[in-house]
Amino acid sequence: MPKGRRSIVEKHKQIIGRVDIMSRSNVLKERTRFLACFVLVAGLVPAGAFAGDLTAAQILGKAYANRELDGSDGTVKLTLYDKQGGKWTQRGESRVIEVKTKLVKEKGDKIEKKLYRFVKPADVKGMAVLAWDYEKAEEQMWVYRPSNRQTIKLVSSDKSGNFMGSDFTYADMNAPILSNYTLKIEKSDADVGGTKCWQIKVIPNDKTKDEEGYSKKVIWIGKNDFMVRKSMFWDLDGDLLKVLMTRGIEKVKGTDKYYIGEMSMINKQEDTKSVFKTVKKVSDPKIADKHFASDKLSKP
Amino acid sequence: MRENKFSNFVVRFAWLFIILFFAITAVFATQLKKVTLDTEMKNQLPDNLPTRLNLDRIEKLFGGTDMAMIVVSGDDILKKDTLERVKKLSKEMERVKAFDRVLSIFTAKDIQAGGGAMRVKKAIKKVPTSEKKLARLRDELKNNELIYGNLLSKDFKHTAIIGFLKTDASDEAVVAKLEKIVKDNPGKETTYVGGMPIVRVSLTKDIRKDMKKFLPIGLALMVVFLFICFRQARGVLLPFLMTVMAIIVVIGLIPLLGWRFHMVTVILPVILLAVANNYGIHIMARYQEDNTEGNEHTNKTLAKNGIVRLTNPVLATGITTMAGLLCLMTHIIIPAEQLGILATVGVAFAMVGSLVFIPAILAILPKAKPIRKAHEDIKASKGVLDKLMLGVADRITRRPKTVIIAFFAVALAMGLGAVLIIVDTNPLSFYHQEAPIWKSTKVLNKNLGGWANISVVVEGNIKDPKVMKAIDKLESHLQKHPLVGNTTSVAKVMRKMNEVMNGGDPKFNKVPDDQKEIAEYFMLYSLSAPPKDFNKIVDPEFEHAQVIAQVKDSGTRAATEVVEYTKAYLAKQQKGGPFKLVGGFLDVMANLVEHIVRGQLLSLFLSIVICSILVALLMRSVVAGVIAMMPLSVSMAMLFGIMGYMGIELNLITAMLSSIMVGVGIDYTIHFLWRYRDERRLSDPVAAVRTTLTTTGRGIVFNALSVVIGFIVLVISAFFPVRFFGLLVVVSITACLVCALVLLPAVVLVFKPRFLEPKTN
Repeated sequence: MPKGRRSIVEKHKQIIGRVDIMSRSNVLKERTRFLACFVLVAGLVPAGAFAGDLTAAQILGKAYANRELDGSDGTVKLTLYDKQGGKWTQRGESRVIEVKTKLVKEKGDKIEKKLYRFVKPADVKGMAVLAWDYEKAEEQMWVYRPSNRQTIKLVSSDKSGNFMGSDFTYADMNAPILSNYTLKIEKSDADVGGTKCWQIKVIPNDKTKDEEGYSKKVIWIGKNDFMVRKSMFWDLDGDLLKVLMTRGIEKVKGTDKYYIGEMSMINKQEDTKSVFKTVKKVSDPKIADKHFASDKLSKP
Repeated sequence: MRENKFSNFVVRFAWLFIILFFAITAVFATQLKKVTLDTEMKNQLPDNLPTRLNLDRIEKLFGGTDMAMIVVSGDDILKKDTLERVKKLSKEMERVKAFDRVLSIFTAKDIQAGGGAMRVKKAIKKVPTSEKKLARLRDELKNNELIYGNLLSKDFKHTAIIGFLKTDASDEAVVAKLEKIVKDNPGKETTYVGGMPIVRVSLTKDIRKDMKKFLPIGLALMVVFLFICFRQARGVLLPFLMTVMAIIVVIGLIPLLGWRFHMVTVILPVILLAVANNYGIHIMARYQEDNTEGNEHTNKTLAKNGIVRLTNPVLATGITTMAGLLCLMTHIIIPAEQLGILATVGVAFAMVGSLVFIPAILAILPKAKPIRKAHEDIKASKGVLDKLMLGVADRITRRPKTVIIAFFAVALAMGLGAVLIIVDTNPLSFYHQEAPIWKSTKVLNKNLGGWANISVVVEGNIKDPKVMKAIDKLESHLQKHPLVGNTTSVAKVMRKMNEVMNGGDPKFNKVPDDQKEIAEYFMLYSLSAPPKDFNKIVDPEFEHAQVIAQVKDSGTRAATEVVEYTKAYLAKQQKGGPFKLVGGFLDVMANLVEHIVRGQLLSLFLSIVICSILVALLMRSVVAGVIAMMPLSVSMAMLFGIMGYMGIELNLITAMLSSIMVGVGIDYTIHFLWRYRDERRLSDPVAAVRTTLTTTGRGIVFNALSVVIGFIVLVISAFFPVRFFGLLVVVSITACLVCALVLLPAVVLVFKPRFLEPKTN
């Protein structure tokens, strides 16, 4: 499918640049619904134009849309740290997870297909996870286990906690449904490491507070590229819980989209840190569909 | 009138000594506010002890082991309202920051097989709305071995929401939070807040309450007793003042030494109430004895005479008491060791004060109005006590051998009861079994898999099938013990996943043989649910695992039994095996038993030996030392026999008793032997026994009475063992008294030891 003809609606349904190995099907549905509304706004207001007049919702919407690709190929690494004697230390092989990712968006069936193949830890090398996110049905997931060369179906319903033992929750990595929040631009000229940013205060409604476990978030978004530079998260007691910093924001070659080279989340209360690194990211809208078949998972 | 250099010195610088004693007391009084309480069980053991090191190691690897919980009991937990309430309670507990993990039927997971897939889901995803859905959930929960019989009782009537405390959590804050959570979420079901933080907070509160009760009531009793004895203001006030000052000094000493007030320390002020006033009483008694109607003493000569006459007896009885108390230092248990030192300091202060401070004040105060008539003869008065003493004397002198045989027969019979003594180190036992604080523990034991844990730490590559299989074997071995309720380990989860991944075939309910397979299962789990679910059973690096066994009997014997059973299994493993250590709450409890028993035997043995040596030195005769041992041994046999036959447990509190009693009880022997030796110079043995019993015997009875009155206040304590301590004091003091007044006379009559016989013979 030629790139130019792809509708904005479809583009906005894809969320890359985060390692959402899985996403909750109901979250996806709501997210998709939200994105459909949001597209009207984003479609009318091209990036960069009239930036000074954007609302907080428009800025956030753009920030998430800005990272979506039709198809991609990449490698992502997640490393977990503890604080010991005042220093961040990384312990043990099991705490470095490296995954090759492939993603394609199939417009006709409204499916987002994602394939993850483990490189590290060594003892799960070759293990592959295939997830099909339907717009209107429960997510389907298959896992290929090299130990017995079998592929099995995996059904999971608990995505409440932290992603793979990291400091990122599933909610942190999925695009939010903006109607669940009260948004306010606190500053239009905030500075994060030399980048001019919007500083947006995000207050969830009561139900969302309960689901996400945050009473407040503040997000800094770069004024030039609409990319998140920093986020802060407060827990339900109003104490600072986590701080997210991003680095190495670059354009994906041949597109007007961006990817984040490194996201580090520090949990201030537990003294732990998780770092996502995008080792490689290539836009590949024509990525072959054969990668995303459950009976082909054994083929690396 | 008699005087010596020391008495002249005291009287001459009377003001100086008075100011000095007040100043010392004032200095210590400023420290009183800094006293802090410590009710943590493990802090009673030195921190370099293996048990404590093991516990610290476990907590470093797997977070806090201490649990606080809300137990919910009702007709049926699987009712909509009840489930909604439990869900709210669980949610709010998860928000308490002092917990590093919360376990409940709402946080637990279910791993299921179905349609060729593995499904990891919350055990209760949503509170069911229809009867049909409730019935389905009931079936699901029955098959969920991570919950059934553990977080949820098998009859569905009880459930627990358990929070594991972070190691730096504050007990008070946690308890307040839990109580608020329960208050904010009312319902028909009964709820109990339980766990060690609650026990510790409760102990702290009750220690304060006890102290507030003990001091006023104890002091009031003492005032009454002193008034009956002396019927004079100074006779009441001076010994009273001395005791209060001694109490202030030792309690003020606690923060100065960097120590804290423990459960055992509760009896410290009471020991002083009972013992420290003895010396002042002697001084006042002598003062009144000298200050008879028409005497020619001045206030100064009365003071000097008291010092001269009483220095030796006060030092002799004081030093033996201190020796007994110091023997508590043989305990490795920190508060026991500290109690010995503190009580010794208090007794020393009161002893010196009675020879310096009280006479100094008496030398300054104008001479008191005489209470006694001149040459008042105690023997002439015909009170009940005198008649009793005479009766005793008559019977002993007639058949002394029978008396001795009878005593040793009784002692032997009673002493045999000592083997029945139960040792109890459970901090909950400070409360009666019917007290509310026991409720949650009872529910846990009966319905929810057990109240406390023992852990085995495994080290190595946890994903290695050999290690995983060893964990599995250990867990099933632990499970076989009849006192073990629930067990938890990573192998249990692994078995379940293997079964599920193989279509739910029970044949696969075993640890896989391939490390890759194990690693994949862990990865699969973390793809489906937060791996934090495992943080109590395996560390994130998969280098350490913890096998946990819950014990469903809160008795100390059960703890010891399971700890030994576990250690025996570990001892059999081959060299280089994966099991590194055994530890946990129950291990500390079992270890305390060992130390209480060892400390008890050692301190008792040592105090008897040292006190006998002191008597031998005092009387300049080895035989005197041997004779002094007799009443002590018989009294202690009585004490332990009564504990054994009546089922009174030996615990941190009652273990303090014997050393204290030896130190106090030896005084009666000293008083008796001293007086008898004097009387023997004047008359034949039978007459000497009669005179001794009717003169000094009377004094000994009063002395014992004052000790009993001092300790009797313990009977109103909030704590069970402290109350028993109070009762046992009565028993052992009576035993010491009877031994000194009945057994000793019989012994001296039969054996006629040379050191007591007049030299001219």
